[in-house]
Amino acid sequence: MYSNALAAVCVMMMVGSLVVALREEITARNIGDSTLVAEQSQVVPAGILCMVVAYLALVGVVVLARKLGPVTVGQAEAAWWLPLPIDRRPMVLPSFLTRLVAVGSISSITYVPFSVLTTFDRSPSAHGIAAVTFGGGGVVAVTGAAVLQLAPATTGRRAGIFLALLPIAALPFITSTVLPLVLVASLAAALLAYLVPRVGDVHGTELQRGGAVSGHAAASIFFVDLNELRRSLMVAPSAHVSFRGSRYYGRHTRGPLAALVRADVVAFLRVQPPPTAALVWLGLSVGVTVMTPTLPVVLQLTVILIAGCLVTAGTGTVARQTAVTAELDTLLPISPALVRCSRTLMPALAMATWTGALTGALVVLGAGTPVFVLLGVLAGAGMGAGATRAATRPPTDWTTPPVETPFGPVPRNQMSSLLRGTDMTVLAMTPLLLALYLGTVHPWLIIAQLIASTTAITVQASNPGPR
Amino acid sequence: MVGFNGAGKSTVVRTLAGRQDPVAGDVRVHGLPVMPDAVMFRRQVATVFDEDVFFPSLTVREHLLLVARGHSVGAPEEAVDAELDYFGIADRAHAVPDALSSGQRRRLLLAAGFIRPSSLLFLDEPEQRLDPVMRDALSRRIRERADAGTTVVVVTHDPRLLVRTATSCLVIDETVTTVGTERGAQIIAGA
Repeated sequence: MYSNALAAVCVMMMVGSLVVALREEITARNIGDSTLVAEQSQVVPAGILCMVVAYLALVGVVVLARKLGPVTVGQAEAAWWLPLPIDRRPMVLPSFLTRLVAVGSISSITYVPFSVLTTFDRSPSAHGIAAVTFGGGGVVAVTGAAVLQLAPATTGRRAGIFLALLPIAALPFITSTVLPLVLVASLAAALLAYLVPRVGDVHGTELQRGGAVSGHAAASIFFVDLNELRRSLMVAPSAHVSFRGSRYYGRHTRGPLAALVRADVVAFLRVQPPPTAALVWLGLSVGVTVMTPTLPVVLQLTVILIAGCLVTAGTGTVARQTAVTAELDTLLPISPALVRCSRTLMPALAMATWTGALTGALVVLGAGTPVFVLLGVLAGAGMGAGATRAATRPPTDWTTPPVETPFGPVPRNQMSSLLRGTDMTVLAMTPLLLALYLGTVHPWLIIAQLIASTTAITVQASNPGPR
Repeated sequence: MVGFNGAGKSTVVRTLAGRQDPVAGDVRVHGLPVMPDAVMFRRQVATVFDEDVFFPSLTVREHLLLVARGHSVGAPEEAVDAELDYFGIADRAHAVPDALSSGQRRRLLLAAGFIRPSSLLFLDEPEQRLDPVMRDALSRRIRERADAGTTVVVVTHDPRLLVRTATSCLVIDETVTTVGTERGAQIIAGA
């Protein structure tokens, strides 16, 4: 209890300090002064931009809630109670209502810094009303996701939920009265009045699916394993099997390494989902530098860093699959280092393409000379090594006493496990981010980038990691 | 190699194949220390254990093609077709491993073990999940491979497979003894 309270106070103080500091920084700075790109193009008015961000956040809540359930049962409940001919409502309703309260509270709290940073002229009570209104929007989003569980989610039903969120996203920005809050509360109440009597009708397989996904995600969070969290939130594997690259695979090869490289290339092409997420993060990285001239350059670079780490994490699926089946690495007469290089090839190419596109776009927008693209491509190669390195994270060691932290006891090697892979990704991105910050590519930065990327690849190739 | 459950048969072959460290002493294969990461060791030693060792996204044919190409098998396409026919999975050649039945996955594992050249082949209960017809085909295949000069070490609970393929039988119990194959078959049957 004491640790939880201490952790909560620490987090609130850190967030509060950050918000206040950022607000002062933004208030004090002149637009266009020391920004990432030379010419800022405010293509969207600030107010609309904020509403778009709020809307995207609510859409994110719906998508996430739909993946996690939100109406679920655990594995044991499913085994014991689902086969029985009883009303399932008392079994699923309490946990669903708990989730609603949690989402409403978290959405409200999260909205407070956003409100403070984006609207300077509001009174504290107006910030509070806006935050609670947004929290109500979060409740509507989760309830809407639960409504989608009642019947097969057609495109029309999904589109209806997403359209309904459009006006809700705008309501927190109207703060002259409490009317927006009343409107959101009424909508949430109406949706709940429709859902609650029917919540027992959600199909058993859907209840189990949600329980399995949310259980997997919760375990990943408990173990601070971001890779596993990402996997848990990926949509359940569909029956569709990809056969991309079949013709390429059928061509003649010479030697075991060429055969392995070809297998890794084809496996990568087949397991990679459409590059929607990578493109969204690319767009966000470019957009945040172009459309938010008041945002400090350090924050813009932080967004790029986070986007780079997340996109990198998405390219390590083949490496993870082969790490799980360690014998795959011993299948062919090739040294382990070469096997690991082969696994790294496609993630490195994919990330080089991504960072090349990012730096290319920034160069077009005036961030610097075309040499930036070279730096980006080099950085991408190192980031790919980070993706492969993250696939062989050490398992949690429960044999030694955990370390006490303000957030509770944590297994001793948890932090090194969390950082494995991310360390090399960040290392490979550092010279690139430094060049973006400076606005110029000094020859030393190219050498530094070469060293950083080579180090990342060498570390990945030479270190097998724990099995 | 025969013995009751838990006697340590799989532990012995896994140790010989370099999959786990010896409990005591040291292990030598072809007079050399076991080095599972060495290219030469990987080239000479083939294993078929109980784990499904597949690229999940490669088809049956592509997986065998990878092993054949990786071990420089001449005319790999033809070799793959021959193995697919021999192990009765030609009609599943374009399926991914997840789409195979348990027995078909076993056949794929065996095909991958036999398609590549090796001087030492470890098979851990290869008869598992196979129907009687395929077990007979497997015993013929083991015999052919042994006649061609490969040392084949088989852990089995199938007396018929033992009698039809083995030239000697190691019984692992509280002690390790060598017996004839007929006696080995009797031990498996509990006689």
